[in-house]
Amino acid sequence: MVADRPICILLGALGGQGGGVLADWLVEAAHHSGYPAQATSTPGVAQRTGTTTYYFELFPEKNPPGEPIFTLFPGTGDLDIIAALEPTEAGRSLERGYITETTTVITGTERVYSTAEKMAAGDGTINDKPMMESLEKASKKLVRLDIDSLAGDTASRINSVMFGSIIGSGILPLDDEDGRHAIRNKGVSVSSNLEGYDIGLETVRAGGSASQPDAERPYKPVPASFEKTISAYPEQLRDLLGHGFAKLLDYQDEAYASLYLERVNTVVDIDTHPSRKLTKEIIKRLAIWMSFEDIIRVAQLKTRPGRLDRIRQELGVDVHTPLKLTDYFKPGRDEFIGILPPSLSWVVPKWNRLDRGKGLALHMPTGTIFGFTLLKFMASLRFLRRSSSQYREEQNHILNWLGAVKIAAESDYDLACRTARLSIWARGYGNVRQNGQSILNNIFKDWQRKLATDMTKVSIEVDQSLLLAHSNPDAPEIIH
Amino acid sequence: MDGGTALAKVLASGERSFKKEIEKLLLSDGDTFHGEGILAITKALLQSGISYVGGYPGAPMSHLIDVLADASEEILQPMGIHYEQSASEAGAASLLSASVTYPIRGAVTWKSVVGSNVASDALSNLGSSGVVGGSLIILGDDYGEGSSIMQERTYTFAMKSSIPLIDPRYNMTRMVELTEQAFELSEACSMPIFLNMRIRACHLTGTFRTKDNKVALYNANNPVPEQHYDLEKIVLPPATYRHEKAKFDERLPAARRFAQENSINEFFPGDGSRYGIITQGGTYSVVLRALRRLGMADAFGNTEMPILCLNLVYPLIPEEIETFITHKDQILVVEEGNPNFIESQIAEIAQRGKIECVIHGKDLLPMAGEYVSNVVREGVASFLTEVLPDGQQSVAGLAEAAIENEKVVAQSYIVEPMPPRPPSFCTGCPERPIMAALKLLMKERGKFHISMDIGCNLFGSLPPFNVGNTVMGYGLSLASSGAIGPNLDQPNVAIMGDGGFWHNGLTTGVINARWNEYDSVLIILDNGYAAATGQHLLPSSGITPKGLSSLVTIENALRGVGVKWIKYVDSYSLQDAKNVIADALDARDQGLRVVISNNECMLARQRRERPAKAEALNTGKTVIQEIFGVDEEVCTGDHSCMRLNGCPSLTLKESSDPFKETPVAHVNDGCVACGHCGEVAHAAQLCPSFYKAEAIRNPGVLRTIFSKINRSLLTAVGA
Repeated sequence: MVADRPICILLGALGGQGGGVLADWLVEAAHHSGYPAQATSTPGVAQRTGTTTYYFELFPEKNPPGEPIFTLFPGTGDLDIIAALEPTEAGRSLERGYITETTTVITGTERVYSTAEKMAAGDGTINDKPMMESLEKASKKLVRLDIDSLAGDTASRINSVMFGSIIGSGILPLDDEDGRHAIRNKGVSVSSNLEGYDIGLETVRAGGSASQPDAERPYKPVPASFEKTISAYPEQLRDLLGHGFAKLLDYQDEAYASLYLERVNTVVDIDTHPSRKLTKEIIKRLAIWMSFEDIIRVAQLKTRPGRLDRIRQELGVDVHTPLKLTDYFKPGRDEFIGILPPSLSWVVPKWNRLDRGKGLALHMPTGTIFGFTLLKFMASLRFLRRSSSQYREEQNHILNWLGAVKIAAESDYDLACRTARLSIWARGYGNVRQNGQSILNNIFKDWQRKLATDMTKVSIEVDQSLLLAHSNPDAPEIIH
Repeated sequence: MDGGTALAKVLASGERSFKKEIEKLLLSDGDTFHGEGILAITKALLQSGISYVGGYPGAPMSHLIDVLADASEEILQPMGIHYEQSASEAGAASLLSASVTYPIRGAVTWKSVVGSNVASDALSNLGSSGVVGGSLIILGDDYGEGSSIMQERTYTFAMKSSIPLIDPRYNMTRMVELTEQAFELSEACSMPIFLNMRIRACHLTGTFRTKDNKVALYNANNPVPEQHYDLEKIVLPPATYRHEKAKFDERLPAARRFAQENSINEFFPGDGSRYGIITQGGTYSVVLRALRRLGMADAFGNTEMPILCLNLVYPLIPEEIETFITHKDQILVVEEGNPNFIESQIAEIAQRGKIECVIHGKDLLPMAGEYVSNVVREGVASFLTEVLPDGQQSVAGLAEAAIENEKVVAQSYIVEPMPPRPPSFCTGCPERPIMAALKLLMKERGKFHISMDIGCNLFGSLPPFNVGNTVMGYGLSLASSGAIGPNLDQPNVAIMGDGGFWHNGLTTGVINARWNEYDSVLIILDNGYAAATGQHLLPSSGITPKGLSSLVTIENALRGVGVKWIKYVDSYSLQDAKNVIADALDARDQGLRVVISNNECMLARQRRERPAKAEALNTGKTVIQEIFGVDEEVCTGDHSCMRLNGCPSLTLKESSDPFKETPVAHVNDGCVACGHCGEVAHAAQLCPSFYKAEAIRNPGVLRTIFSKINRSLLTAVGA
């Protein structure tokens, strides 16, 4: 029987991912094996990192009785394969009506975040789990390509893995050799592309990569000597609490970590909810806040044992390769005064260049013995921390916040949990941090009275503040 | 002079090299061509005996220019074909002047409709005097998805200048045939011809049977014996009155006659029913696809539906239309673009011929937007349910309902909308830091209006920068700022690329600003190429399209027209760039101040440097391998850096600390170590999480010893 329609494939990619080469391979494979086919694309400025699509049709008959009509556009219900090099591009195809129950969706799973997602101050990324589920439900079949785990660090080969997957899916009447021929004929990075192609063939035949469970984010173990302390807490809190305790031990010392536990205890005592949701929020947020960054902390993190080797790994070079490392610091008066006791703040000179928003632009050569020991020295100043002015200031803010949470918990558990989340404002450096602190001060001013007079209003205020904290502060539509 | 022959070779290769495909242009009689649409059109030009060819790049026509540039030495020169990359579309259109009085064929190309706007002065004159040699204007319509311009029709240019417009059916054999016939048509009606190609058609792949290339009777190797003077060809009254009359009495009728005799338009009778479809050539395959989906056609285009396919969309041929619509009750006109010129003319023909036939068109199809598969199928389905006796219950009606249902079911699973993904500055782009500097300046001194230009610079108007307010056209940013500064109590502030500067910016912008004594700041982003179209050469790129060195510089041009305040910035030094721009903004009594950022397009630079680095690494030379990184423990996850940067390589990842609720910044391996991350961190006093790491590969002896000592010392202090 003569076939009654061409096989249609839409490729979704971002400019620079190699979608054009992939389309060329498909055309070449079809041409080589003698099937009529046509491809087209919309490069234009979209090639500059924007969304771009390629469209391919092949008539599955070598000598058809007439010249098949090929068209330049995909149409709903007519697509056999949607091949997306990035998962939201598959999602976009669904939005545009190109994925239906007869479509096989093959998609790379690694996200390339859009500018919009990156600009949010909180987590602005879309949740890919439900997106993948929707693709699975809407299509005939969903094939995931987890390029990272398949091809190691050769993510640039995503197009060849995709090519292998398209051929290997068996939807086109082309065999493995046709694809290999196309890659050789095109002549672009032949050996690595052939490798990627073979990985694609195998993966699609195995049904694609497995759906990845959420990556484990392990908790830091608590030092053995404190295990007993932690085990006194309810089971569901121990991992969290251990992590927080270890974090503050690393940040300062045992006394400071114990102060953390004392503060947590005041919430454990009032949290009677079986989920312990409030306590969990506080355990996490208090640990983050109490380990606020100052010059001492930054110096400590920048001189972590193993950091230089980790960076060499990122560069893909061995430990003997000479490494030049430059850290970008720009401390200003706030930062210098911050690590000194208030009585010594006068030692920091009143130069204009140290004003807030300015600062000393330093290119710290951390990879040299000089730069490293200088930072190591700064890190060793942590014995001064608990008498420093920034320490005092941060502790005041922390107690203020913690107090507000506890007051809220007396009347509304859920509001207390949301109030706890307001600690997100304690973030960043310089102006960003100052701005966040003053937002919190405003909210917590007259907190008790505000709660007593109009709790709904307070609740709305908290929600709005959380929304603002997570959104893009530069977005034109947001009015501060 | 030669200095950089090697460099010139690299520069001339452009973003996409067609060298490999040039062989296809040399195929002879009876060979089979297999390749892209734009290459097929180029082959058709060579088969038609042209003596000259030129154009201005812009999607989707850029590749035609690239093909020609690559073919220049090997193919064009031996055939005596004059090739030039014109300085603007007006320049390209003016080339056709060679065919006004001489029997020589030529072709030019540009992106429509914007390019046609620039070319329209020459087009009007050309349309008035007419031509004796076949003249072809190949236009790229960039109409829908991926288009960077407004959606206007080339059709208006055809109508106002009486230039026949071909909109070919997208079958490669037919496209090539129509291109060849266009030259004959041009000579038959003494007018240049528009050949309109949509972006997807330029890039479609296909096959056709080739002919030998044809060397023109007159060409650069065999010149026309003498110049020709004909007062009738001068566009001055009274000749212009006669031209106008000739357009409608002689030229257009001759075009119609030629088209009819040569079956330019195609009639597919179907089953001769009392309804039918009239379509543009370019929308023919979409219509056929719609009919197949609706059960009215097979995969090879056999259909019961009578179809008139207009490959010549202007002028229409009333006799053909009359024949088609007589004895039909209803027809559908599938016409992409607005207003609906074709549909209106068909209605007029029906009315004058007193033919009772309902003319459908934009009542069933959308007025605006690209006619993609779904759009046309929905329109054809509405038409069919209207004309078929069983309406919604007809095969077509049921098929459409089923397709619609499939879509609704699939879309019902959508959870949240996908983030938009507009184009943006590439990784390491030297234009990005200028936008960051402007955003920082606006944070310090309040927002001001910036007039943007055409080209990559326009991405500065998009997030995360949002620093451009208006755009008026190529090279027009400075001129368009003229009345804005005085009315907003700010200096005029304009940005343009080097492409815009040479296209129009020097004359319309700089000279205008000097002449009218603007209080202006012009920021020129000189990255060495027309980068947005795919790394095309410019007068200031350093070499000519033919590979010789060129001594034209932007600064000389500016000095030549009396601009005194000129400062260069290295855009990667963000703080310096910001300071210089601030100085320029503040020098309000000093007329036009020009800030030039002259860092090379990073794509072009990487294309050259990456292989050179790999080569050096292999041959044992010392190579510095650099990358930026983020210490995730230091990153607080508020993403301030993202809002000032926008680099594709600066992205997010989940923090490995289970307590951190927001993703942290992360530099992926696409990083080219341009340094902008660190500069932003300094300029905006952001967090100290960024670092630059440089591995010294194949180090010298001293380096190795020093590094060894350094390393053991570091180990001793616990690194």
